[in-house]
Amino acid sequence: MMGSLVGWVPLLDPIDAHDAWFLFLVPLSFGIAVAYKAVRSRRLDRFWGQVGVMTAQIVGAMVLLWIVSYVVVQVVVPMVAPPGS
Amino acid sequence: MHQPPRLASSAPPAPERFEPVAGLLAIALPGAGHLYLGERRRAALIAGGILGLFVAGLLLGGIDVVDRREDRVWFLAQAMVGPIAFLADYVHQEHLKVKEMGPGGRLVYRSATPQERRSGGVYASRSVGRMNELGTLYTAIAGMLNLIAILDAMFHRAGGGWGPARAADSSAPRSGGAVTTATEQPA
Repeated sequence: MMGSLVGWVPLLDPIDAHDAWFLFLVPLSFGIAVAYKAVRSRRLDRFWGQVGVMTAQIVGAMVLLWIVSYVVVQVVVPMVAPPGS
Repeated sequence: MHQPPRLASSAPPAPERFEPVAGLLAIALPGAGHLYLGERRRAALIAGGILGLFVAGLLLGGIDVVDRREDRVWFLAQAMVGPIAFLADYVHQEHLKVKEMGPGGRLVYRSATPQERRSGGVYASRSVGRMNELGTLYTAIAGMLNLIAILDAMFHRAGGGWGPARAADSSAPRSGGAVTTATEQPA
């Protein structure tokens, strides 16, 4: 990835990180948590703690969905409709 | 008979107030509406979160992720960030795309080919695959989150927040409007 940054023009060209795209879901979750908690939190004195919790919840939900999807596609569907049937 | 103390959460929510100026400012720039309402720290956090997501989307996917001609539905979400999304699209369309005459004499906008980019012209790269999806997602979610901020600024609860009044995080709210705070009723 670092080698592909040579010649990269920020904001104009996309980053070549297709192999590690899933890592960018974490900062996405963090940004969502910051913006949402900034609007909806009644008190801001525990803001960053709440943001951390919400970020972990979003990432955890994504991982859980990935696991469930994997089980359904790799285990359940072959049981219900075996290949070749 | 012993009366349990009434908790603050059981207090009635503060009345909601329509703040059109704050709403318009929030549309113009994320966080500006809450800044107008006197909530400086909240405004800074909203601006940081929403603009951070939008700029991060442009960094990941390139400016090609904001395209009202080719990705009209996604642009509807991105546009809620405000004029900055329209500015990004204007720069993309007018300065970073190839313009040529199409059938019927209509001007056609298209992304530059690698050969055209190597020829020395300043064009944006075509964004494809996962990075395009991520960039589009970042910018669109920024817009949708700004919609929440706009509605919160426009329908502002006197004393702040929804439910019981939230604590002020900065200097006193601006004068000129009735501000009431929910107080705990004596037992």
